[in-house]
Amino acid sequence: MTTATEAPERVGPPSKAARPHPIRDLLIKRSLIGILTLILVSILVFAATQTLPGNAASAVLQNTATPQRLHALEVQLGLTRPAVEQYWTWLTGVLHGNFGKSLANGQPVGTLVGGRILNSLVLVVLAGVIGTLIGVGLGVLAAARRDSVFDHVLSVTSLAITALPEFVVAVVLVIFFAAVVIHWFPAVSVFVPGTAPWSNPRELVLPVATLVIVVVPYVFRMMRASMIDALESDYVQMARLKGVPRWRVLLFHALPNAIAPTIQVIGLTFLYLAGGVVVVEYLFNYPGLGQALVSAVSDRDIPQIQAIVLVLAAFYIAVNILTDVIALAVSPRRRLPRS
Amino acid sequence: MNFSRRDFLKASLAGSLAVGAGGLLDACGTGNTIKAFTTSTAGKPRMGGQLRAGLTGGSTADTLSPLNAITNVDFSRINNLYEPLVGLTPEAQPVNVLAQELISNKNATEWTIRIKQGITFHNGKPLTADDVIYTFRQILNPKAPAAAAAGLASIDAKGIAKLDAYTVRIPCSTPFATLGQALAIPGYSDIIPVGFNPAAPAGTGPFKVKSFSPGTQSTFVRYDGYWQARPYLDEIVITDYSDQTSQVNALLAGQVDAVNLLSEDVISEVQGESKNVLLSAGGGWNPFTMRVDAKPFNDVRVRQAMRLLVDRQQMNDLVFGGFGTLGNDVFGIWAPEYDHSLPQRHQDIDQAKSLLKAAGAEDLHITLVTSDIAQGTVLAAQVFAQQASAAGVSVSVDDVTVNEFYGTNYLKWQFAQDYWFYNFYLPQVSLATLPSAPFNETHWNNPRYNSLYAQAIATVPQALRNEIAHEMQQIEYNEGGYIIPFFPPVVDGFAANVGGLVSSKIGLSLNAYDFKGVWLS
Repeated sequence: MTTATEAPERVGPPSKAARPHPIRDLLIKRSLIGILTLILVSILVFAATQTLPGNAASAVLQNTATPQRLHALEVQLGLTRPAVEQYWTWLTGVLHGNFGKSLANGQPVGTLVGGRILNSLVLVVLAGVIGTLIGVGLGVLAAARRDSVFDHVLSVTSLAITALPEFVVAVVLVIFFAAVVIHWFPAVSVFVPGTAPWSNPRELVLPVATLVIVVVPYVFRMMRASMIDALESDYVQMARLKGVPRWRVLLFHALPNAIAPTIQVIGLTFLYLAGGVVVVEYLFNYPGLGQALVSAVSDRDIPQIQAIVLVLAAFYIAVNILTDVIALAVSPRRRLPRS
Repeated sequence: MNFSRRDFLKASLAGSLAVGAGGLLDACGTGNTIKAFTTSTAGKPRMGGQLRAGLTGGSTADTLSPLNAITNVDFSRINNLYEPLVGLTPEAQPVNVLAQELISNKNATEWTIRIKQGITFHNGKPLTADDVIYTFRQILNPKAPAAAAAGLASIDAKGIAKLDAYTVRIPCSTPFATLGQALAIPGYSDIIPVGFNPAAPAGTGPFKVKSFSPGTQSTFVRYDGYWQARPYLDEIVITDYSDQTSQVNALLAGQVDAVNLLSEDVISEVQGESKNVLLSAGGGWNPFTMRVDAKPFNDVRVRQAMRLLVDRQQMNDLVFGGFGTLGNDVFGIWAPEYDHSLPQRHQDIDQAKSLLKAAGAEDLHITLVTSDIAQGTVLAAQVFAQQASAAGVSVSVDDVTVNEFYGTNYLKWQFAQDYWFYNFYLPQVSLATLPSAPFNETHWNNPRYNSLYAQAIATVPQALRNEIAHEMQQIEYNEGGYIIPFFPPVVDGFAANVGGLVSSKIGLSLNAYDFKGVWLS
């Protein structure tokens, strides 16, 4: 997971020209490592697909695979070439912005994956933002009313929800709000291919709600804990003694200090969402990256697997970097050089 | 969040097994429950409307080309886009569609096919003999053989000749008395126009393509130049579903009008005031395959014992809620050649034990390779292992992925399963139980059987051919490498306002996705 922030190892008063700029340094360094990581990931994934039983041709033909048909399709798809050559062709293609063609249906991978990135991103961002707001809000409230009935109910509920896998949450939501009890929302999220997800808002409700329910407890528990720490600190005591109104103490004294550890958890939440959408997309038949990855793996569609995994890996790297940058930005003391 | 969906399904499966044992009595008590809902009758036929079908079984490898249609869902598209020379009735018997007549010479080495006139493709081009010749040459193209190539291998593609604008002569390298039956298999004789372009596919079917994205959604609109009775529907929207749960939810929530390939355990969930279930006694078959050329199954007594271990009724009850049709280790149940007089085989543990003892295989340990290749295959394997233990035979079930199953070991597994769509008896033999058959998974090679086949395939009169076929079935019934405990039912769901759906024995869902007679009231 995210490592502690690197601080430049500088001693003594810096000159004006070489003023330490920890955020910029971190961005450059981590981006370079990130690119290296992506290349390694692509090699690993390619190697993994080679060890899977069967190939795209046998996956497509299944029980109609006579040797003649199998051979004809393997030649057509270029699967008879050595693995290293296949990888090299793919890599040089990617460096020229060409992600290749799907082995399953011959369409360009860029087009196939492109629309799905947007669909998944909308799901992840909506769930992440709503989940964060609710989690932080409930955390602050629970900490402010620590040991009240409200706090206990929230804590126990969040613990219970943590124990539920997302597909159980999804199934329960579908039963209550779509299929059996009341028919408010669609049970599955089917878009007409080519339309943007926000033009189908009703279809988004249940998948987003599922993900929100799954992530809120984590943010809530972290926020509650760090908020309680902050509320017990000396400066909060001081503020209270000064007669600062209670809401001001909460929002302007305690919250800014409690948010830093929570940002790491929020970052983790987004990372979890990138993986968690796979199950939710599958259940709601939501046309996103996760659903595409599941079918690409079963079709042994290597170019599509590669493209999707790279997108997911890049998202992980970007969120990690972003989390560290925000953590740096909100805690000024960590930006100072060690001395 | 580590509890995976698969674990969940396994847990639910264990639950439904327990329930299934109770359901056994219901299924037997009510007799043939299938008859209760074999057709949908939603008021009077009405023109117009959009049928939304939510179908599982597709993937990003979905195709619109009839040459490469493989999955159940591929057929949902091509059966509405294209039409075959010969098709299947809901009773799974051949019926001429684009063909006017098929005439063979005396020993079935040459066929003359005359096609109907006045039929046009979606692009306006009239259907002629050239298109028929083009289609056969595409199917049998040695560089890229189509799915039907193995079944039509006797046709000499180069020698096909055009006699006039609507007549072709088809020479065969070996006798091919069953050509008419072979052409009736879905996808085997769907005619495409000369210069067929898969990107803008044109057929002669009742609906034409409007849009298609593989693994996601496709739409079809009525073809106004259709030569038969005008279809009722304006439009069909076919959406791919990855899983039955979301598919059933969509039906219950009113997002789709028809769903396919349900498992029997959701029947009660689906059936209600506004939703119904279509049950069909399909002719597809999911056999256990024993390799007759390798130990221990090279001893015919071991094969006979394995067949006697199966309690077919119980397996049918547990796997298909009793809705399947019991099998007798012979395929082709709805084919006119099928011998219904063979006595139904029952479980006989004592007999099985003594056969195993005679073969010196009392403490048999075998591995059964299974995979989620078709509905109920894995469950059937587990039930088999359970039933076999009664005779002291220990079966370890090896559940591999579909890709591994059809990977390099396919057709080489010692003891495994497979699934087949419905086929007529002799065409199926040419695919599965001859030394030259491309999918001879049991490695069956019986000289008497082979020579009977050679005789049957050169016999034109159906009645004579049936007699020979019965003798072949007798051999398979006594010594074969297949265990065919049942023919799986086909369970589909539909909204109550969908009319014109009929149950069929073809084994593909929703009467082989024939939507031209379907209406919405």
